[in-house]
Amino acid sequence: MIFRENGQYAATYAKDMRIFRLREDRVAVAVLLVVAFVVVPLVANDYWLSSIFTLFLIFSLAALGLNLLTGYCGQLSLGHAAFMAVGAYAAFNFAVRLETPVLFNFIGAGLVTAAAGFVFALPSLRIKGFYLAVTTLSAQFFIEWLFVSFSWFSAGSMMGAIDTPPMRILGWAVETPRDKYLLTLGVVTVLALLAKNLTRGEIGRSWMAIRDLDVAAEIMGVRLFPYKLLAFAVSSFYAGVAGALYAFCYLGSVEVTAFELALSFRLLGMVIIGGLGTIMGSFLGAGFIVLLPIFISITVAAFATRGLTDFLSNLELIVFGGLIIFFLIVEPYGLARLWHTTKEKLRLWPFPY
Amino acid sequence: MANSTATTAQSGPPSSVAGNVKPALMQLEEIELSFGGLTALNRVSLDIRSGEILGIIGPNGAGKTSLLNVINGVYRPQKGRILFQGQDRTNYRPHQVAAQGVARTFQNVGLFKGMTTLDNLLAGRKSFIHTNFFLQALYWGPALKTEVAQREKVEQIIDFLEIQAIRNTPVGTLPYGLQKRVELGRALAAEPKLLLLDEPMAGMNLEEKEDMSRFILDANEELGYTIALIEHDMGVVMDICDRIVVLDYGSKIAEGTPDEIRNNPDVIRAYLGTDEN
Ligand SMILES: Nc1ncnc2c1ncn2[C@@H]1O[C@H](COP(=O)(O)OP(=O)(O)OP(=O)(O)O)[C@@H](O)[C@H]1O
Ligand SMILES: [Mg+2]
Repeated sequence: MIFRENGQYAATYAKDMRIFRLREDRVAVAVLLVVAFVVVPLVANDYWLSSIFTLFLIFSLAALGLNLLTGYCGQLSLGHAAFMAVGAYAAFNFAVRLETPVLFNFIGAGLVTAAAGFVFALPSLRIKGFYLAVTTLSAQFFIEWLFVSFSWFSAGSMMGAIDTPPMRILGWAVETPRDKYLLTLGVVTVLALLAKNLTRGEIGRSWMAIRDLDVAAEIMGVRLFPYKLLAFAVSSFYAGVAGALYAFCYLGSVEVTAFELALSFRLLGMVIIGGLGTIMGSFLGAGFIVLLPIFISITVAAFATRGLTDFLSNLELIVFGGLIIFFLIVEPYGLARLWHTTKEKLRLWPFPY
Repeated sequence: MANSTATTAQSGPPSSVAGNVKPALMQLEEIELSFGGLTALNRVSLDIRSGEILGIIGPNGAGKTSLLNVINGVYRPQKGRILFQGQDRTNYRPHQVAAQGVARTFQNVGLFKGMTTLDNLLAGRKSFIHTNFFLQALYWGPALKTEVAQREKVEQIIDFLEIQAIRNTPVGTLPYGLQKRVELGRALAAEPKLLLLDEPMAGMNLEEKEDMSRFILDANEELGYTIALIEHDMGVVMDICDRIVVLDYGSKIAEGTPDEIRNNPDVIRAYLGTDEN
């Protein structure tokens, strides 16, 4: 990834169009996958597996979904936490009512959420920008209200509190943090690959064209409404699967408050900090946000000895807000662009000219 | 033209071009467009003939850009008809116009700023890609095949416009002159039957203008595209256009060869502004 391309010229366009064009990149990715699938499960303890890695992956997936909509297609959503809730409750209902296989439940959760996103996206033809953001905000409140008020969604329990049932995939009981981490990792890897494919083809280009200049996009033949709807649907699908994973592989006991507006904003923050319109940025942003509180508490603990929990959580918000402002103003393409620039510099180093 | 047999009687004015009159690719008939009380186009009729370079000139605010927007379907005229290859298409939406093979560049650069040169040009290939969502998500089989095919086509345009070096640069970071060139490339990528250029040389230096003129002439002569272009630089217009239409205050005040236009008293008056409003 930070290697040089010395003489690596692609002989065919197909080769030039691979996701990882350089051999070094491919090696690095292979190493990363081995570390994620083999090394991490072997060496990490339960706390790290669950509270750090699994959470990181789930947030990455949700941020990725939001990034498809906001970063690629240019449509803001403040309702993505609620869409995660739709996925969580959909998967729960599939599991307890229909007792369908786990993976089916996850995909079904994605599809149900995609349908919900589709419905809330219908105004997007007529309105954009601020007013669309308000529509998605109303989706957030409406969906929260729905799950709190109607116990049907939580199979009878009050206030939408649910306990996810045990998972079993073809005889593999997904019980331990390690199992859940691996399941999450598998799902996220596949979906990230599909997202990358979508964004590097015609659909991704059409989305970005709409984002950058919708009039020109239309004149080049992009029909705005279907493509925006598709972006909402796909984005919600990702949010839904992420929500299902959040419920089944991380939370276990779920309450509607897990999906409140603050989470929508955090997701948006991840996308902005990581990099709008990049797949990798979604991961960087999620990693950053998951690690930030840990990093802050370690730093502060080094200076103070007594309990500072209030101060800590406030500090986290301050740093979070500051970073968002920083990235919006200074580097709208986020960490991913910083990474890219560093790479470019290293590529030419030590002879920049 | 193959389908000129289907074309109804030519409705344009008798041509002043001696001899071979080419069939009209696009005909605008009595187009009227107003914004509130402001008349942007006042019963404008004109033909764009197959294979020609048509210049559209006129003072600021004459309605030139509005005319292109009407052709593109961005604005819907209150009155009048638009025929393309003899077929009425007055109320087409922009994407339908694109599907018919009309491509366009914008007065103030209408590129997709966050995308690379390559992606902008590939975006111009939109109407050639028909693979479905699932194949695209897998980037496999027909999806991969058509992506490669589009890439090959786009690389030809990159070579034609000599923009190899900026292939992977986000176009927002390019200098203005290059952006204009990339935008031409995006329009060319659509292999348009009709290419509309809104002030392709505005803000360019002499050398860039010469390059651009050459590309436009090549697109016309070698690729055979029909072109309608708006331009303020009279030298360029007189040089490269086969015919010229002059708009003033939303009305067509003259039409003819560059020589005829140069000596037309109405045109001279419009440009020198001798008449009081
Ligand atoms: N969307 C719009 N809403 C209101 N008025 C408009 C709109 N578009 C154009 N106009 C008006 O229509 C008239 C013609 O504008 P147009 O942009 O077509 O002129 P133009 O010939 O392209 O001028 P220029 O050489 O400055 O580009 C102007 O008076 C302009 O203000
Ligand atoms: Mg104009």
